[in-house]
Amino acid sequence: MKIPIQISDESREPIYHQIENQLRTLIAGGQLPPGTPLPSIRALASELGCSVITTRRVYQNLEMSGFIKTVQGKGTFVREIDHEQLQKTKQKVIYDAFEKAIEQGVQLGCTEEELKSIFEELVRKNFH
Amino acid sequence: METTTMIQVKELTRTFKRFTLGPLNLDVERGIAVGVIGANGSGKTTLFRLIMRLLKEDTGNIQMFGLTEENDEWKGKIGFAGGLLDAYDFLRVEELKNLISRWYPAWDEDQFLYFVNRYKIDVFERFGKCSKGTKKKLEFVFALSHNPELLLLDEPTAGVDLVSQRKMKEDLIRFMEDGTKSILLATHEVDEINQLCDEIVVLDRGRVMHRYNKDDIYDQWARIWVSVVNDDLIHHPNVIHYETAPPQIVTNQVEAIQEIVQKNEMKIQHIQRLSMEEVLEYLIESN
Repeated sequence: MKIPIQISDESREPIYHQIENQLRTLIAGGQLPPGTPLPSIRALASELGCSVITTRRVYQNLEMSGFIKTVQGKGTFVREIDHEQLQKTKQKVIYDAFEKAIEQGVQLGCTEEELKSIFEELVRKNFH
Repeated sequence: METTTMIQVKELTRTFKRFTLGPLNLDVERGIAVGVIGANGSGKTTLFRLIMRLLKEDTGNIQMFGLTEENDEWKGKIGFAGGLLDAYDFLRVEELKNLISRWYPAWDEDQFLYFVNRYKIDVFERFGKCSKGTKKKLEFVFALSHNPELLLLDEPTAGVDLVSQRKMKEDLIRFMEDGTKSILLATHEVDEINQLCDEIVVLDRGRVMHRYNKDDIYDQWARIWVSVVNDDLIHHPNVIHYETAPPQIVTNQVEAIQEIVQKNEMKIQHIQRLSMEEVLEYLIESN
């Protein structure tokens, strides 16, 4: 029951946040479709090298926002998520990714114009 | 509701000719695996023996499952693997099992047979003739075969072959699975800290020097490449290590360093989390 989550050495984002966001993305993107069983908090903690305190927190947050559900004695499963939630998550993931790219560009000394032209070039490359 | 604290050690001391343990405080909560690290001679084994009542403390006290008095019930709830079977060198594994299984009302023979098969242990071998690794595996198997709630493991995989080490880790993860059991594990293996433990206790010269939630280490410790390493950084209490070419520091409190850097109008070039291995080395060495 391995799931493709990776904790980044470079990111300053707290670990629980990284895990939660990646799970949200996997669920919203359909890589983990509704009904998929998830590892137990202990198994996930072991896999990622974090503590069960963190994985429990992640599962609690995801459960509260309706992404997963825990069935007593059976385990934790991906839930059917509603359209609005899905759109919100997708947007957030994309926003975050752009934001990170822009931050990096600024750090390297790019101007607004340069960033925009790179962005437009990439969009053109992918859609035409 | 059952107690949430499995072990509570308070102001424990024990003095020997050339070594003093404590005063030492430690607790282990239900559902949590605690890793004990420390250089050789830091007191790990002594601590285990005191908790198991194999040694008597000079002062302080130990509560197990909320009880101060030692009784049969709590002995039955503990699985201990820590080099106690050497006195039975002359027995065959099977005979040793017959002896040990009588100590525990909750002994699970099927579980024992499953483990013996899983770890490829020859039950007709004399214990004294078993290799170091096989003895370790046997202690581990005995500790797990009577449905304990708490495991006390003193370097359980030292000398054990790689495949069996992996199996032991799997068995410990399974043991912790339902969230009601706990482990206190003394180890020098980074993998065991990474894959099994939620908290880390650092022992040095008989005392607890640090106690961390593992994720706080990941989030707060880092290597930071800065524009320049000045005196403010070198002497900062949260700077554990520094190098000047290229300028970088290792810290146990990223935010504190970010503040200093900002105040001094220096620049942070890059921040990277440390591997657990590096952190453990700094923790053991810095004492």
